[in-house]
Amino acid sequence: MEDFLFDLIDLVQSIADGLLFGTTYAMIGIGFTLIFGVMDKLNMSYAAAAIAGAYASVAAFALVPLPAPVVFFVAAVAGGVFGYVIYLLCFRFIPLASPLATLMATVGMLLLIDEIVVHETDGMPQPYPALFDDVMIEFGPFGLRGDLMFVFLVSVVAMGLLLYLIYRTRLGIATRAVSQQPVAAQLCGIGLERTNAMTFVITGVLGGVAGAMIGAAVGVLSPLLTLPFTVKGLIVTVIGGLGSIPGAIVAGLLVGAFENAFQFLRGVTERDMYVMLLLFVFLFLRPGGIFSRPAGRD
Amino acid sequence: MDFYLGLAQIIGVHTILGLSAYVVMLTGQLSLAQAGFFAIGAYVSGMLTVLAGFHILPAMLVGGLLAGVMACIVGFPALRVKGLMLVIATLAFGEFVRLFFFNFDYQISKGGIAVGPLGGEGFRQIRFFPENGWTSFDVMLFVWGVVIAVMAALWWMDRSRAGAVLRAVGEDELAAQSAGINLTVVKVAAMTAGGFIAGLGGGIYAHYTTHIEHLNFGVILATFAIAYPILGGLSNVFGTLLAVIFIQGVLVEGLRFMGDWRNLLFGALIVLAMNVRPRGLLDERSMALLKGLFTGRDHART
Repeated sequence: MEDFLFDLIDLVQSIADGLLFGTTYAMIGIGFTLIFGVMDKLNMSYAAAAIAGAYASVAAFALVPLPAPVVFFVAAVAGGVFGYVIYLLCFRFIPLASPLATLMATVGMLLLIDEIVVHETDGMPQPYPALFDDVMIEFGPFGLRGDLMFVFLVSVVAMGLLLYLIYRTRLGIATRAVSQQPVAAQLCGIGLERTNAMTFVITGVLGGVAGAMIGAAVGVLSPLLTLPFTVKGLIVTVIGGLGSIPGAIVAGLLVGAFENAFQFLRGVTERDMYVMLLLFVFLFLRPGGIFSRPAGRD
Repeated sequence: MDFYLGLAQIIGVHTILGLSAYVVMLTGQLSLAQAGFFAIGAYVSGMLTVLAGFHILPAMLVGGLLAGVMACIVGFPALRVKGLMLVIATLAFGEFVRLFFFNFDYQISKGGIAVGPLGGEGFRQIRFFPENGWTSFDVMLFVWGVVIAVMAALWWMDRSRAGAVLRAVGEDELAAQSAGINLTVVKVAAMTAGGFIAGLGGGIYAHYTTHIEHLNFGVILATFAIAYPILGGLSNVFGTLLAVIFIQGVLVEGLRFMGDWRNLLFGALIVLAMNVRPRGLLDERSMALLKGLFTGRDHART
C-alpha cells in the first residue's frame, strides 16, 4: 500500500513535469497547424528550423557571452529568418498544383538543415543556457522544477502573443482570411504572397522560441532532437485537429503529460510507442481532432 | 567488382522500396510508412529463414504478405481522413514499427549460439546466402529477378483497368467518386499492394546485409522511399528506377569524394530538383518527347 502511494506520487509528479514540457510540443504543433491553415500544405522542416534557430543563438553566444534572455531572443529572430528562407526555397516558386513537390522540398530542407547543424557542430551536443535551473518549488511531496516552470511561462506568453496577433491585428485578420478563402481574400486587396511570407516569419519566430525553450528544458541541443520533435509536433497537430490553434495547445499538453506518464510506467525505450498509439486512437475515434464538431465534417 | 555487385544490389532493393511508394502515390496519397513495412518484411523473413529454416522465397512471401496485411490495417482508419493526415499517420506508424523492433527480443539457441532479434543490438547472422553457397553474383541476379518481376507486374497493372482506376483517384477524387469508384477500397488496395512490395524488398535486404537493426528503418529510409517516385515522376515505373540510380549511384556513391559535404548537397539537390522540376525528372511531357524521338511523331503536342 505504502509502495503504491509512493508510485502514485511519482506518477503525478511525472505528469506535472510532462505538462510543463508539453508547451514546447504545443508551440511546434501551432507552427505546423498555422502553415497548414494558410497554405494547405505541410512544412516538414519546421521543427528542424526551430532547433536550428536555437543553434544559431548558441553560435552567437559563442562569439559574445550574452545573458540567457538575450540568447533566447536571438533564437527567436533566427527562427524568423529561417522561416522566411524556407518559404522562399520550398513554397514561393513551386506551383500550387504540385503539393507533392512542395512536401518533398521541405523534406529535403529538413535533411539540409540537419546536415548543416551536424557539419558545424561535428554532431556533438551543445550545452544550452537555462534560467532558474537551481530553483525548486515544493508542494508537500511534489516539486516543480524552476527551469521547466520558466519554459512553461515563456511558452504561454509566446502563445498568448501569437493568439493576439492572429485574432486582434490586421495582419492576423489577413492571415485568417487567406486561410479561409484565398481568392476572396485577394479580391479584398490582401496580398497573398506577402501574407504567406509573413505567416512563415511569424511561425518561424514562434519556432525559434520553441527551439530555445527545448534547449533550456533539455539542457543540451543535439541533432537527435529534430526527428522526435518533428514527429511529435505532427502528432500534436493531428490530435488537435489540422488547422486548429487551441487544439494544438491542448494536444501539446496532452502529449507531454501522456509521454511522461508512460516514461515512468514503461521506461524510456517504449515511451514513444504509446504516444503513437494515442494518435491512432484519435485517428480512429476522432479523426477531426479534439475540437472537431461531431457531425457534418467534410 | 564486388563493389559494383553490391551497388547493383542496393539499387535493386531501393527500386523495390521506391516502387512500393509509387503504387500508393498513384492514388494521390503519400505514405511515410514504407520503411515500417520494409522492416516488417525484413524481420519476419529473416526470422523464418534463421529460426525456422525456411527457403528464402517462401520466407519473403510470408514477410511481404504480413507487411501487406499491416498496410491494410493501417490504411483503413488513416485513409478515411484527408490526404495530409495520412502522411502524419503513416509517419507515426513507421516510427511505431521501428520502436517495436527496438524493444523486440526473440532469441533461441542454435548450435550453441543464440540467434534471433535482440532489441537495440539488432538481428545478426541472417546467413541464408553464405550458408547455401550463393555468390554475390547469384544474389545480384536474384535481386534483379525480383525487381524485374515487380516492375513487370506494375507495368502490366498500369495498362489494365486497375491502373486506370488508381490514376483516376489520384487525378481527381471527386470525379472518380462520381464515376462510381469506391475511393476507400481503391486507396486501401493500393496501400496493401505497396505494403506487400515493401515487405518483399525488406526480405531481400535482411538477407544480403545479414545484420539488421531498428536504426536501418528510420524516417530517413521512409523519406528515400517517397523521394524516388517523386523525383522520378509518376508517369511510369522507369522514372522510379531512374531516380534510384540517380540518388544511390550518383548522389550517394558518386559524391563520396566530397566527404561529409555530400550529405549537405543531398538535401540541397532535392530542394533544387523540386523547384526546377516539380512534376519529377521523367514527367509526362518528357515521356512524350522521348516517345516522339523513337516513333518519329510529336506526342508532346497532344
